[in-house]
Amino acid sequence: MHEMLHTSKSFFRYTFLIILSLIMVFPLIWMMLSSLKTTEEIFSVPLTLFPETLQWSNFAGALELAPFWLYMFNSAITSVCIVVLQVILSSMIAYALTQLKFRGKSLLFNSILITYMLPAAATYVPSYILLSKMGLLDSLTGIVISNVASVFTIFLLRQAFLQVPKEMIEAARSEGANDFTVLLKVMIPMCKSTIFIASLISFVSMYNNYLWPSLIVKSQEKYLITVGLNRFFTNVGSFADTWPLIMAANVLTVVPLLLLFVLLNKWFIKGISDNGLKG
Amino acid sequence: MELIRRYGLLLFFVGIPLIPLLAFWFIPMFVSLWLSTTDWDYISPEYSHVMLENYQTILTSDNFYAALKNTAFFSVMTVIPTIIFGLLFASLLKNVMKGSTLLKSLLFSPWITPMVAMSIVWTWIFQPDVGLLNQLLGLLHLPQPSWLTDSDTAMWSIIIVSIWKNAGWAMIFYADALSKIPGELYEVGDIEGTSWWQNSRFITIPLVSPTTLFLIIISLIDAIQAYDQIQVMTQGGPAGSTRTLLYLYYQMAFEQFNMGQATALSTLIVLLTGVLAFLLFYTSKKWVHY
Repeated sequence: MHEMLHTSKSFFRYTFLIILSLIMVFPLIWMMLSSLKTTEEIFSVPLTLFPETLQWSNFAGALELAPFWLYMFNSAITSVCIVVLQVILSSMIAYALTQLKFRGKSLLFNSILITYMLPAAATYVPSYILLSKMGLLDSLTGIVISNVASVFTIFLLRQAFLQVPKEMIEAARSEGANDFTVLLKVMIPMCKSTIFIASLISFVSMYNNYLWPSLIVKSQEKYLITVGLNRFFTNVGSFADTWPLIMAANVLTVVPLLLLFVLLNKWFIKGISDNGLKG
Repeated sequence: MELIRRYGLLLFFVGIPLIPLLAFWFIPMFVSLWLSTTDWDYISPEYSHVMLENYQTILTSDNFYAALKNTAFFSVMTVIPTIIFGLLFASLLKNVMKGSTLLKSLLFSPWITPMVAMSIVWTWIFQPDVGLLNQLLGLLHLPQPSWLTDSDTAMWSIIIVSIWKNAGWAMIFYADALSKIPGELYEVGDIEGTSWWQNSRFITIPLVSPTTLFLIIISLIDAIQAYDQIQVMTQGGPAGSTRTLLYLYYQMAFEQFNMGQATALSTLIVLLTGVLAFLLFYTSKKWVHY
């Protein structure tokens, strides 16, 4: 009896979970289905779930109207540059915060801590002015430079560096290692997984970033994917028959991230639960 | 010599990373504060100091209070359900043996997608006549609101998207917190024949309260800064019903180039965030059990 109650309970639990999961992924499925429908199918009442024949031409149609490959390339390249620079700079400062003694260290750390909590919006106007003074408005370099300081990455790396056993660092030092060698040969290899997770999360948030890049880039050949996609949506969105093309453009934007997630989902989930709370 | 080496070392490890940190984070915070006392319009080289006039203008304008109300409504209605759904997902997933990784990944997947792209998809789902949502509501003979084009429902549309995007993220933290609760606690409950509700009320919810506090603070800061979904779906409309403080700031700064008032508003947003975070920490002693 108890056994039966248990199975029925877990059956109920599974059914509920599967329904919830389907609801959560349904907008993604709906996007993909809509991208493969004809205009008639997409507007039919009552709605049709599956397209009769898959309209792959919608993708070609979207790519004809706007250079989405270029946008994606711009996003990928700026995000990679940002992530690489963030990791280098953050590991340097995290090393200083955990291994070096200097005046103002706690002031520095507290300032980083406060910055982490405050809305980034407060920096937009002065940062915008600074970029314009540097002549970096409407350039991908401007986006990279203004994003290389990441309080989030500094936090994660500082936390990880604190976990490195003191004996290992001392052993390296007694063998004559200087600070550069300790950072490169002890700290970074010991904290590989944290660095990987920080890079992954940072990459995703930079690829998805919209507000700040949309202020910086003005010419079409420099659009990031989020900016290009939204401009495409506002330009063609008023014509009803372009909905399948818009959905195709959306699929192009989202699929690279979903692939990344399918490949690395354990890293994302473990990384967020292990590191987020400590941050 | 030793001194030079030491300073060189610090210059390298602290000095270099500090440049972008100062240039794009620390200094802008203060420059913003200073700009908020001027009437600069971004184009003209001249400006004058108007002291607290910008703050006075904002604090006496109806736009500000409408946006403040929208921000408060949006934040509360997003943060609380996000957390409840996160805890619900995580509790359902607890003790699930087969397929828990797959289910977890599916529930989490919205977080990974770009808000801009998914806001476009949701705009399509929210279409009054042909959209998926209203067609489903029609099948169930429920009222079919016009969502994004009605000032009574537009904010709810934005709220739904935001909850959808973040609930899986909250779930990850709760799943971790739940896995740390010792199973014996529930066994005692089993023997005494406590109900599911009693277990939640007296075991689960108190024991995950540090996670709840963390999630409330982070989601609240996130909600105050929500922008992408508003920009794509409603541009603050209709009739200003989805214009939040941050959106008002964006319009002042980068549509009207009224830098003085915009920076004054950003100072107020920072203050608001700071006060809320402080209050949450302060009152948390009453309900967070470490």
